[in-house]
Amino acid sequence: MIANLIYWITERRWLFVAFATGALLFLLPPPSGLSMAGYRTLVIVVVALVLIVFEPIPLPAVAMLILAFEVIFGIASPDMVAKSFMSDAVFFIMGSLMLAVSIVKQGLDTRLALGIIRLTGNKTWKLVAGFTTISALLSSFIGEHTVAAMLLPVALTLIHYADRDPRKVTGLTSLLLFSIAYGSTIGSIGTPSGGGRNVIMLEYWSQFGIHSITYLEWMKYAYPILLFEIPLTVLILWWTFKPEKKILDTGVRKLVVKVAKSGRMTARQILAIFVFVLIFLGWVFLSDSIGLGIVALIGVFLYLALGLVEWEDLNRNTNWGVIVLFGAAISMGFQMRQTGAAMWIAHLTVDGLSSVISNLPAIRGTVAVVLTTVLSNLMSSSATVAMIGPIVLNMGGDPVVMGFTTAISSAFGYFTVVAAPACMIVYSCGLLRAVEFVKAGWKMALMSIVVLILVSQLWWPLLR
Amino acid sequence: MKFLVGIGSKEYSEPTLNIGSRIAKSFGADLSVVYVGPKPKQIHEGRINLVRDALANWEIYHPGIEILKWAFDYLHDSSFLEEKEEIDVFHPENMVEEKGRFRMVLPARYGQTISLILREGDIIGELRRECNQDDYTLTIIGGSKKRRMAHNLIQYIPTSVLVSENVDLSREYKVLLCVDDSEATKRAVRFGATIAQNLEMAVELLTVSKTTHFGSGYRGAARSAARYLDSKNITYNQQFLTGDPVRTFVKVAGDDHIIVMGLSTQSPLKKFFVGSKPIKTLELGNCPILVVR
Repeated sequence: MIANLIYWITERRWLFVAFATGALLFLLPPPSGLSMAGYRTLVIVVVALVLIVFEPIPLPAVAMLILAFEVIFGIASPDMVAKSFMSDAVFFIMGSLMLAVSIVKQGLDTRLALGIIRLTGNKTWKLVAGFTTISALLSSFIGEHTVAAMLLPVALTLIHYADRDPRKVTGLTSLLLFSIAYGSTIGSIGTPSGGGRNVIMLEYWSQFGIHSITYLEWMKYAYPILLFEIPLTVLILWWTFKPEKKILDTGVRKLVVKVAKSGRMTARQILAIFVFVLIFLGWVFLSDSIGLGIVALIGVFLYLALGLVEWEDLNRNTNWGVIVLFGAAISMGFQMRQTGAAMWIAHLTVDGLSSVISNLPAIRGTVAVVLTTVLSNLMSSSATVAMIGPIVLNMGGDPVVMGFTTAISSAFGYFTVVAAPACMIVYSCGLLRAVEFVKAGWKMALMSIVVLILVSQLWWPLLR
Repeated sequence: MKFLVGIGSKEYSEPTLNIGSRIAKSFGADLSVVYVGPKPKQIHEGRINLVRDALANWEIYHPGIEILKWAFDYLHDSSFLEEKEEIDVFHPENMVEEKGRFRMVLPARYGQTISLILREGDIIGELRRECNQDDYTLTIIGGSKKRRMAHNLIQYIPTSVLVSENVDLSREYKVLLCVDDSEATKRAVRFGATIAQNLEMAVELLTVSKTTHFGSGYRGAARSAARYLDSKNITYNQQFLTGDPVRTFVKVAGDDHIIVMGLSTQSPLKKFFVGSKPIKTLELGNCPILVVR
């Protein structure tokens, strides 16, 4: 009995750490310049951060806690909390998770495999370039985990045929798997529909009445970065992981045979692609008026109505807990702005650093990038943007530039498995070690920061 | 009787599986082999499930399944399983999800009842959950370099625990029965004797006192253990040594004994902060150790 209790306590130690920290902060008086409501919002942020990073309890429970505390601490009325909880960004996250299921269930991965091989042939470096490019371009529209889900079987099949013992082709394995993971990650910055974090930033811009960015405008800002990063990513990966085989002749031949067995493209698959094209056009031309999330939900409706996916499949593969968590995180972000907590932290950070460095614009950008990258590597990119979005938008300077800097640098979580869904997906196949993410990750992060600085300094001013 | 063997990888789990299956067979016990793999962060869990569905369409399965397949083949090759019918029945599609874990449904019996289970998460937590779902007598697991692991294994697994530390399959092991006046010693003696008898291992009976005086409790326990071994016709060598008990157990055991000892009766709180003889022996020892609950 006592042993069980001790185990329960040790297993949930981070819950106690979070609550103890929260209780301690709660009892302290608010710092000068910060309202009581703002201070209490920050207490919730601290508690939520610990719970999201260390996961001592299920994530939906963290969401419930955030929402309940917002009301109990007198930060907002129940109705206000409910309103800030559900937004177009949450609709988009829900819709995109469901769209991913709908697309993956069509079995288009075999077509994609054939397309890549026709394009690249059997040379390893061409395959790496092909995987990276296709992952980046596709994920910019349909989201990184959808692409990773479709390409991972292709890469694993090639690895399997390269050598039956995966320990003999570790370099090749890392090369192919990272080309999918990092390709998808860099691709996710390209358009708003590339990832939930982009839509969360759009939501904050809209909520804070800062600016309205259309789908095509986002592409103008972010796509050049993505295009620059593709060849650089291939070079970094090739430089970091030495493949044991420079030509994958047998693997490619067997893959073609395997793909050929799946037959010609079916009417259902053609219809599924057609529906996706409609969704994409909706995002480009209608999202301004009806929202990205609603367009995604219309897409889900079409897939369901046309019988291209079953509700049971959507229900089973949609992580409702994540949807609830993002709803709560966005609500928390909204309260951070309403109560002045975001502004207070932003000023504190900028003032503190400006006493050391005189170049304010550089400080703002650097803080946004560093803070986002660190938190993305600890939590996840979307959760990071949801938490610190309101802070960086209050740091001063051009909020559009600050928002883009934050949303884009949230994709720089290359060091750890947890940052990006695509990284976690390739890691889950059991062939990569966590240390390999660091080995390639620091080079990717460095390269991405340089590209971001160059594009933001040389290209973005031309768009303003 | 049902035993649970926890395995982690093909590279390091062979000795654990070997010793676990031999002991299970000697007791005529059913065996569950559980692989505990890493669990994805909750925030990515749904997406990982989607990817696993996509991979299954390409006949690429969860990485843990191939380790279970290896374990199944190993048990077959090491004659733990007696082939009665077609042995090639292990198919990844037969994995069923139940009670928060995956279980391979094996359609036939092979002379010994076996379950193959896949779990994800923290190893201690998952072994505890598994033990709470079924009525296991003994949990067998490989050694770990993590110091806290020894404590957690003995403190939190609700069965007897055999840690197969530094097992060399070519070595002839002896059983070192550590006897003192604790309640669990009697059970440890019975358990150790059965293992020694069925696996034909020599037995060392060891009682260690911190002083040169051996109290009546110690002497009585040693006498009772010797009587039990006599009644089972097990030959043994009995020693009474003076010194720090843990260091003496470890020194006598060297690397060619299986240490068998009873679980400490100290309060869990004291064990949590101070430790206990079994925990310290496991931390310092360089051979398999069985702690009987």
